[in-house]
Amino acid sequence: MKASKIFGMALDNLKQRKLRTSLTTLGVVIGITAIIGLAALGEGFRFGIKERMEQGFELRVLVVLPIGAAGTYGHFRLEEVEKIKKLEGVELVTPMNTITKMRIANKENTTLNVFTLGAVNFSEITQMIPERLTPIAGEIPSPEENDTIVLGYKTCYLNETAPLVHVGDNVTVLAQIDEPPYYVNKTFRVGAILGKSGVSAITNFDYWVFVPFNAVADFRKVDEYNVILVKVIDPENSEQVAKAVENVFENPYSISIIVPIAFMRQVDRILNFVQLFLLAIASISLLVAGIGIMNIMMVSVMERTREIGILKAIGAKSRTVLAMFLAEATLIGLLGGLIGIFTGYGLSYGLAYGLSNFMQPQQGRTALRNLEAQQALKITPMFSPEWTIIAFIFAIIICIIFGLYPARKAAKLNPVEALRYE
Amino acid sequence: MTSVLEVRNVKKSYRMGKVQVPALRGVSFTVEEGEFVTIFGPSGSGKSTLLHLMGGLDKPDEGEIFIDGINILKLDEEKLAELRLTKIGFVFQFFNLLPRLTALRNVELPLTIAGVSEEETSARTRKTLSLVGLEARETHRPTELSGGEQQRVAIARALVTNPKIVLADEPTGNLDTKTGWEIVQLMKKLNKEKAQTFVVITHDPNVAETADRIIHLKDGAIEAIEKAPGGSS
Repeated sequence: MKASKIFGMALDNLKQRKLRTSLTTLGVVIGITAIIGLAALGEGFRFGIKERMEQGFELRVLVVLPIGAAGTYGHFRLEEVEKIKKLEGVELVTPMNTITKMRIANKENTTLNVFTLGAVNFSEITQMIPERLTPIAGEIPSPEENDTIVLGYKTCYLNETAPLVHVGDNVTVLAQIDEPPYYVNKTFRVGAILGKSGVSAITNFDYWVFVPFNAVADFRKVDEYNVILVKVIDPENSEQVAKAVENVFENPYSISIIVPIAFMRQVDRILNFVQLFLLAIASISLLVAGIGIMNIMMVSVMERTREIGILKAIGAKSRTVLAMFLAEATLIGLLGGLIGIFTGYGLSYGLAYGLSNFMQPQQGRTALRNLEAQQALKITPMFSPEWTIIAFIFAIIICIIFGLYPARKAAKLNPVEALRYE
Repeated sequence: MTSVLEVRNVKKSYRMGKVQVPALRGVSFTVEEGEFVTIFGPSGSGKSTLLHLMGGLDKPDEGEIFIDGINILKLDEEKLAELRLTKIGFVFQFFNLLPRLTALRNVELPLTIAGVSEEETSARTRKTLSLVGLEARETHRPTELSGGEQQRVAIARALVTNPKIVLADEPTGNLDTKTGWEIVQLMKKLNKEKAQTFVVITHDPNVAETADRIIHLKDGAIEAIEKAPGGSS
């Protein structure tokens, strides 16, 4: 018997019992809705967190540090920087000199809130971490302006309204350099004040100040650095690039590399696990639907015993009868799966809306109220073609598996007994 | 004439609780092509059992059955289904039409199962329906048809595959005398005009009388095989 005819007859049979078919299908719809809904929400949630982390982690920027860097300087040389620049997968390399033992004061001799002073190449650093170097006042100076300083937001803004210094003001930098220990006293003009950047994986740039390399030339060797930032073309290749960077150095153990994507991979693994766990729970509802299908089909086989007897008497093979019943189960899976995909995405949008409102920070009620981390995490459910296809196929497979037993029962009926059945 | 059906020493018994009840105690006969044979006997004589065995729906305990020269006991379930589909037509007492399907679809069913093309199915179905005089009722469902009409549809369904033999189990048993008689006349007509072989099981002597030969069955054994007036009525 032709497959098209088998499906046609199966469809007719299902149409004959509309209420029963819809209730059976509803079970599948609920199962698929739960799976699709949670998958879409989970994907959206992951994407949201990933996006957040990409902002916070400078995902493409590897940080190369000399081991035992505390108090020691000048471990990296220009030729090493040049070698790293030539590595495959590297987009940009910029070295930095950082000084932490210092005091920066304004005209009134009020100390600014500074953790780190970074001597940088401004044009390179703005390409390296552009989001961090967005001024709210003034302009990022050109590398030649040797006496210009750029201040992180929180170095001068103790509150939102009145900064300690303004663009154009002079500040005094008093720094202690350890090797050999001597003191520096230099005046800089404020070229720019940066916007809030927030916590990143390596530091909080809000408490940084930046000066051009040449500005520290008189107390630091310009071609010695204690940090190298390496921007990779594809963050997925971070580990390979890090390995290659290690090989640039004679002793790879003399350096340490922070690979931000490694953090993210870890978080992603956890999120993945949580999502699979949720999906496993959702799948239970599909199993329940499968049992419902089995139950209904058993009843259906009983009711149609005589019909099965007639079919077999006029020459239908056992496998034709089997196929007829399996076709009905398949159609229920198909229909339920299809509707479930739509209702599933509907559900994910509903849940996302509810959760986004629920997770809105309540201003002023938490101890962390000043942290940017408090910004609401907005979840947008994501259509995942893989999950959609998997869920759809899963629905059909479940229906076929649970339809198999009743269908076999029908196929194995003895025609003489089936014909006698009232 | 060649024999379409040959039954050789067929025995069959059923288990009823702890006792074996013999239904057929060794039955042998042949049916030639184009014959109209009735198997006549009271209820409990083993008629229905014999029909199920001839139709390949059940297996005998002993003996052999040949349909169109094929020993049906040697066939597996699948081949047996194919034999039923191509060589045997069934007509039942309770019509056994599929209630959801129209008359047309019911008649089409064997051809659909056989995988015959749409055009051929349609042509053969319409032709067979007109043969039983029901071309005007093809869109009706069984519940919308009278008993006689339903049995005509069942006969059309049995004939649509051009079977070697039509086995009818009490085809008039569920009809009033007049309608039953019309059904018998229809079968006789098809037997004459198309040389269609019929084996009809009945407990009605008037129906039995219409045959070329009557096989008298009693207590699971053939009592007599009688030449009947046949087509004279």
